[in-house]
Amino acid sequence: MFTFGLAGSTTAMLMDTVRYYDLSNVQGTARGWEREERILLCVPLRDAEPHLPMMFSHLRNLTYPHHLMDLAFLVSDSKDRTLELLVELLEALQAHEDPKQPYGEISIIEKDFGQKVNQDVESRHGFAAQASRRKLMAQARNWLLSATLRPYHSWVYWRDVDVETAPFTIVEDLMRHNKDVIVPNVWRPLPDWLGGEQPYDLNSWQESETALALADTLDEDAVIVEGYAEYATWRPHLAYLRDPYGDPDMEMEIDGVGGVSILAKARVFRSGVHFPAFSFEKHAETEGFGKMAKRMQFSVVGLPHYTIWHLYEPSVDDIKHMEEMERERLAKEAEEKEKAEKEKKIKEQFDDTNSQWEKDKSELQNIAKQASEGQKSESKKKGKSKAEDGSPADSRKETIPNSKKGNAEDSAKAVDTKKKSNPAKADS
Amino acid sequence: MARPMGPVRLRRTNYVTLTIGACLCLFILYFLVQPGSNTSASSSNSPNTNSPPIRKPAASRSKLIGDRSPVRRFNLNNVTITPDPIENQEVVLILTPMARFYQEYWDNLLNLDYPHELISLGFILPKNKEGNAATAALQAQVTKVQKGPLKNRFRSVVIERQDFDSPITSQDEGERHKMENQKVRRSSMSRARNSLLFTTLGVETSWVLWLDADIVETPPSLIQDLAAHDKPLIVPNCYQRYTDPETGKLAERPYDFNSWQDSPTAQEIAAKMDPDDIILEGYREMATYRSLMAYMADQGDEQHIEVPLDGVGGTALLVKADVHRDGAMFPPFPFYNLIETEGFAKMAKRLGWAATGLPNYKVYHYNE
Repeated sequence: MFTFGLAGSTTAMLMDTVRYYDLSNVQGTARGWEREERILLCVPLRDAEPHLPMMFSHLRNLTYPHHLMDLAFLVSDSKDRTLELLVELLEALQAHEDPKQPYGEISIIEKDFGQKVNQDVESRHGFAAQASRRKLMAQARNWLLSATLRPYHSWVYWRDVDVETAPFTIVEDLMRHNKDVIVPNVWRPLPDWLGGEQPYDLNSWQESETALALADTLDEDAVIVEGYAEYATWRPHLAYLRDPYGDPDMEMEIDGVGGVSILAKARVFRSGVHFPAFSFEKHAETEGFGKMAKRMQFSVVGLPHYTIWHLYEPSVDDIKHMEEMERERLAKEAEEKEKAEKEKKIKEQFDDTNSQWEKDKSELQNIAKQASEGQKSESKKKGKSKAEDGSPADSRKETIPNSKKGNAEDSAKAVDTKKKSNPAKADS
Repeated sequence: MARPMGPVRLRRTNYVTLTIGACLCLFILYFLVQPGSNTSASSSNSPNTNSPPIRKPAASRSKLIGDRSPVRRFNLNNVTITPDPIENQEVVLILTPMARFYQEYWDNLLNLDYPHELISLGFILPKNKEGNAATAALQAQVTKVQKGPLKNRFRSVVIERQDFDSPITSQDEGERHKMENQKVRRSSMSRARNSLLFTTLGVETSWVLWLDADIVETPPSLIQDLAAHDKPLIVPNCYQRYTDPETGKLAERPYDFNSWQDSPTAQEIAAKMDPDDIILEGYREMATYRSLMAYMADQGDEQHIEVPLDGVGGTALLVKADVHRDGAMFPPFPFYNLIETEGFAKMAKRLGWAATGLPNYKVYHYNE
């Protein structure tokens, strides 16, 4: 018995330093949860403190067995309390009273790349900043993956922190398709004045001849980014093909993918597919990832009618527009007040004129009475001209506010079409 | 006679056999239950122990709740990559795609005088008959070393088996080097390299040394020597020792032609090529007029002369881990008409990392 224990301990020591893995056991199948396939869940974070509680509510709700999921976070160049809050929330999650809540291995990677571009909504989505921003994002993703991917992972799930609504079963739903790379459709809710909802992620698309021709004309380091008028690519976007009542299982072959929620087999990353932090076939980051996966003959698929919802953060344009709307509302109120006052005034004046009229009338009658005999026809003509004088004033009162209202409507419409022509953020 | 056998047997049973039977049943049941609980315990433990956060990156373990995984933090800002890796305790990951096990390779590896506790090893082997044999031989050696004196033990060893078939079963020199086979062979080689790299890189690696399984002789100070140059990618010159059939004397000849400086001719060839084709070096059918590092070696003993390179070979190649972390990998597809290690140099260049060669610093390839 004693020798047995001794042999066991040396074997354990050896097992600590020597590991054997057969990668054909971690291919990833359609029903991974039944075969205990491990998933690496990757979340890149930067100044994401406000969104963390929402993300953790999603984590608690995911139905894929938590102990089969390893969590990997990259916190880079953050100026807020992202890291502290993340640690707090993770420790709470791991200490959760429900034994089904804690996740597998949990790694937080800290790495600063030196943030060259601002993270606020406006500068994030400006066209000029896109290429270098996307390359930085790509670099962050590659660092996260290469630090945390292990030979026992069958799947990798990339999820952005700012997803607001997604089915709890999303991992299984995507996995069931058994594709190498698969993404859902990503929309975002909007305030009513912007139409209620809008396609968000325009990075999932199918290649077009126009775009390929365009790519040929571009410089080696140029990066095509979707959703900007600067590059009209005429690509079919996953986002625009959504039918709220369509079959959520419908698949669409795509070439570029958006990064909000990507499920990929780990073997895709093992083969070397990554998020190019350089211009790869004129694309970078997740779009380049899709392109590279295709280059290696992996299946890349999007689900046009399976939708998750990205958080709505008003853009500077939106905020401006909202301020404008507020101003308009105030102006309208003021105008209505003015209008009411005017009406009152007019009414008063009308009363005056009425009384004046009455006066005139009585005077006229007096005159008429005085000159009733002999001058009958003349007095009739005078009364007619007085009546004609009154009508133009009436119509003026009606038309002025009318034209003003029309103008306001027109300007609102112009903003609306502008919104529609440039509907969404081109990236995640 | 004609009587049925059953009842006779029943009548023969006594209480002794029954109790023995019952005991046996309990015994079997016990062992049926036992392994189940054992494996579940070990499987829940195994991911944690896989990459122990021993040294930097300052891993601060938070409170451990029962057998639940702790929240582990790794600050990659603290992983240094310096010209003096021993002084700075930098971890080197040696990666070897292996089709055959050569004892000379293993002996040379053990002779490296870089502290073994700072060396992690990673191997990937194909899943065929040859691969099985190589795996068995490798495992035997690994076990021996990891159970041996502490000084010789490596930090960790990962042995992986490929999840895809190797295109050519024959590892014979002639067959392997046929031009038409090269693209398929090197594409498969790229996938093996990438699979190994991206599952072992981890959070503590500062340097990655690619060392082919048929490199049988290097200076023992290979790692420190190469790292001292402080270059993102650096390649020694790969030669082969042989016996000159005419003089009968030992001699050496250039072996790896994948380290080169680009030429206008090669770029012209590439410009005319289909994007799916590759330019290969060392074939008469395709004269590229590139400057090959293989021929840059001179008799002088200036070991540390550097030359800039555009393509690199992978027989021995030291890479700063950051280059791989940025995404530079071995393209299994033609990338600028280049593949595998040559494509890797190109991709690294696209990411802003340049390659350097040491024409006079030699490592030696196995000679069959």
